[in-house]
Amino acid sequence: MARGNNEILANLEQIVGPEYVSNEEADLQPYTWDMTWAEPRMPDYVVMPKTVTEIQRVVRLANHRKIPVIPYCNGTNIGGLCVPEEGGIIMDLKKMDRILKIDPETCYAVIEPGVSHAAFSAALKATNPQWKGEEFSKGFEFGWGVHPPSASVLAMAINHGIGHLNGRIGINSQLMSSMEVVLPTGEVAKIGSCAYSDSWHSFLPLPRMDGLFTGWLGTTGIVTKLGVWIFPIRPYKDVLTIAAASAEDITKYMVRWRHYSLCDEVTAVSWWLAQIPIVFPYSPKPADAPEFFSYTVISGWSEEELAYKRKMWKEVVEKERAKGTKLYDFEYPPEAKKGRTELPSRIVGSTKNYSKSCGGGIAWPGTFAPCKSWPILYEKWKEIYIRHGLSPATRFTDYQGAHYGMLRCMTPFNKRDPASVQAARDAMVECVRAGLPEGMLPYKPPVEYQNELNAVADAGYLYLMAKIKDMLDPNNIMNPGKLGIR
Amino acid sequence: MSHLLKNKNLKELAKIYDWVSMCTHCGNCKYGYEYGPTANFAAMLCVQGDKFNFDSYRGSRGKVSLARSLLHNRIGWSDKVAHVLFTCTSCGACQQMCETDIKPWILRMFETLRYEAWKQNVAIPENIKAWSSTIGTLYNPYKEPHEKRLDWLPSDLRYSMPSKAEYIYFAGCTASYRRKQLARATVSLLQKLKVDFTVVEDEWCCASPLLRTGQYDLAAKFVEHNKALPEKYGASAFITTCSGCYRTLGRDYTMDAPEGYADKYGKMTGVKVLHTTHLLEEMLKKGEIEFTGSFNKKVTYHDPCHLGRHAEVYETPRNVLKAVPGLQLVEMYRNRKFSFCCGAGGGVRGGFADYSLETAGKRVKEAEATGAELVTSACPFCYTNLADAIELNKSPLKMEDIVEIIEPIVRRK
Repeated sequence: MARGNNEILANLEQIVGPEYVSNEEADLQPYTWDMTWAEPRMPDYVVMPKTVTEIQRVVRLANHRKIPVIPYCNGTNIGGLCVPEEGGIIMDLKKMDRILKIDPETCYAVIEPGVSHAAFSAALKATNPQWKGEEFSKGFEFGWGVHPPSASVLAMAINHGIGHLNGRIGINSQLMSSMEVVLPTGEVAKIGSCAYSDSWHSFLPLPRMDGLFTGWLGTTGIVTKLGVWIFPIRPYKDVLTIAAASAEDITKYMVRWRHYSLCDEVTAVSWWLAQIPIVFPYSPKPADAPEFFSYTVISGWSEEELAYKRKMWKEVVEKERAKGTKLYDFEYPPEAKKGRTELPSRIVGSTKNYSKSCGGGIAWPGTFAPCKSWPILYEKWKEIYIRHGLSPATRFTDYQGAHYGMLRCMTPFNKRDPASVQAARDAMVECVRAGLPEGMLPYKPPVEYQNELNAVADAGYLYLMAKIKDMLDPNNIMNPGKLGIR
Repeated sequence: MSHLLKNKNLKELAKIYDWVSMCTHCGNCKYGYEYGPTANFAAMLCVQGDKFNFDSYRGSRGKVSLARSLLHNRIGWSDKVAHVLFTCTSCGACQQMCETDIKPWILRMFETLRYEAWKQNVAIPENIKAWSSTIGTLYNPYKEPHEKRLDWLPSDLRYSMPSKAEYIYFAGCTASYRRKQLARATVSLLQKLKVDFTVVEDEWCCASPLLRTGQYDLAAKFVEHNKALPEKYGASAFITTCSGCYRTLGRDYTMDAPEGYADKYGKMTGVKVLHTTHLLEEMLKKGEIEFTGSFNKKVTYHDPCHLGRHAEVYETPRNVLKAVPGLQLVEMYRNRKFSFCCGAGGGVRGGFADYSLETAGKRVKEAEATGAELVTSACPFCYTNLADAIELNKSPLKMEDIVEIIEPIVRRK
């Protein structure tokens, strides 16, 4: 069965070639849904451009015919971001998968949207001429998250994805250094140092126009090339662990530890998230079990550096204990340790968790929040989740020295059970609503979260956002319906 | 609510809906990847996705999504659905990468989808329909007379085969009709190794092409017939040089779902199933084989999907090759569980010859890149596709099966 109309199909075929466009439902159906509760919505066409010129031509056609365009790489986000709210053209960018440059001296790389984490990581690990043959020659790394190997590096970065270096150097959008964008009206713009030369090393000291395309969920343009900072892999690593009696206790420890800026990452997970599989539906934790388990990854250029970091960490733990913070030692399973030090990994354990619920649904209220609000929000979220029959499988992760951090609650649900889907959706939206006054902001937000955000946003902020959107995308063709403003 | 089972007419698929619905749509299956202290691997493994681009064709996610879309009544059957289903080579790379509970069910789900497709008015590849129309009476998918099945066997041997033996050499259809030299080499090898075996005139197709293309009803009598052979010939084991036959006899005949089809056809018990390389490895370990010559060539080994990912036999053929004096074994980048299919399996060679050969051509290029002079494998079907691609691409590589390498230079100690 085919969708759309034959004239537009013929136009698209002329642009990208017949084998790279389809309007057959059998081809369109994988693009209708994702892991979340988002209701499947059918696009009308899928195209796979191979060049920037092809993208420009598709976008101009879409403007002319007022057809939505949804940029898509692998559809692995957990926010329904690529589900086509109003149909239109899925622009599948997988064929643009070149790593255009790796500059080991200036420590940046330039990639296309289709470059997967697997391909990028393999290429970076094989690169380090500077220290070739030396102990340090372990190649380079980027901020690796826990995601499928096929996930797009570029898509993750421009949507504020997180990686394993977020404690040391920030989330992945903070590692971007230059970009090339096809605007919704078809023009191509370079942003950052690449606008002036072939060096893609920095957005600064120029105006931060990359902000027009970062965190906008593909509604303001199509990023076709991205410069990202890369980092030499440190040869020495360790994972240190501690458990705590409460969210308040673990937060005190994490914030204090982070003020030293000595770790790559510090994360805590609630008892329910530490279980494999995640407890679903909710059941209470054993009374004597700690409420939170935390790991922190430290790295260094020598064993001495690592030993120093271990010593400082022990001091933090002892000082917190002396103040009455209830912290407990626990052994981290070797498999979990491996998962924290050998990255990027596949989403092994966690995927199994979600799958066990027999319905394959997974979503989260994933948010950036001030770290001091973690314990307050955790207690609120816990009450909400338990009321909806769900486990408060919560995670705290610090970003860049306790300035802000991630708070999220992994939520498996059974897609085959409407009541289960509804309970999960209701709980998550309620959590977002409860968190906004505490400074919490959802990332990669599904439409439902965006509506909650807009309801309490500063009016001037929304006005400016709408004005920028209208200026860049006068026909509102780019991923319409995601921002809740047009 | 669009995730409810609404299409109950797809009865066979609906039976496994519990498993189909466990896919999280995460996309692990779309790309091969492994990293660790000794691994830094990243490559596209999905033959079908590599060729046909869209997510519908890529890894298991596209086809699980297709199954769900059909069961949820979100889309209907079409020729395009058939194309998505029948261009998959069933290589199992997506299953290898999957980490969810649907993992063991993925290939079974593909075959079940194909089973359902046969009942719809959709474009099943013509050539598959053609061989399917005669296999019930000719007992092979090559449309050859059954009476000629043993024509590969020299007449002096044909009439001197014992009526009872420990092993039945199950040549399979491809070696019997298309790659006769492999069957002859295997028999000669077994004779040299003084193995107590026989070759039987009433061997039928193992049913691999039928099961892989979802023809469950037609497969039943083949399974029933072949299962009875060991008792008839007093044999305790099947031995085969064909990876497809090995997978089918060794798993489909003997294991319940999802690994096999014993749930449908009953379980074959008390019969061992060996690939020729198993026997060679075992005899080498026991010191029962003596090499009388050497094979002074640089060789790369192609993992047949049915022996490798389907049955997890990776090291056995390599151990055999490593034992050959003079032979230098080099690996392609994509090997073992991360191998790249030759493009022939799952009915693709019969259904889409050009795409199948294009895939084999990619594999041949990868083999060339190792600097090997010769590519070897352990399956007549892979042999056929790779040899054809070598010829088509005017590659300097030569193709030989492991038995062809071993047979001229061994004897029983």
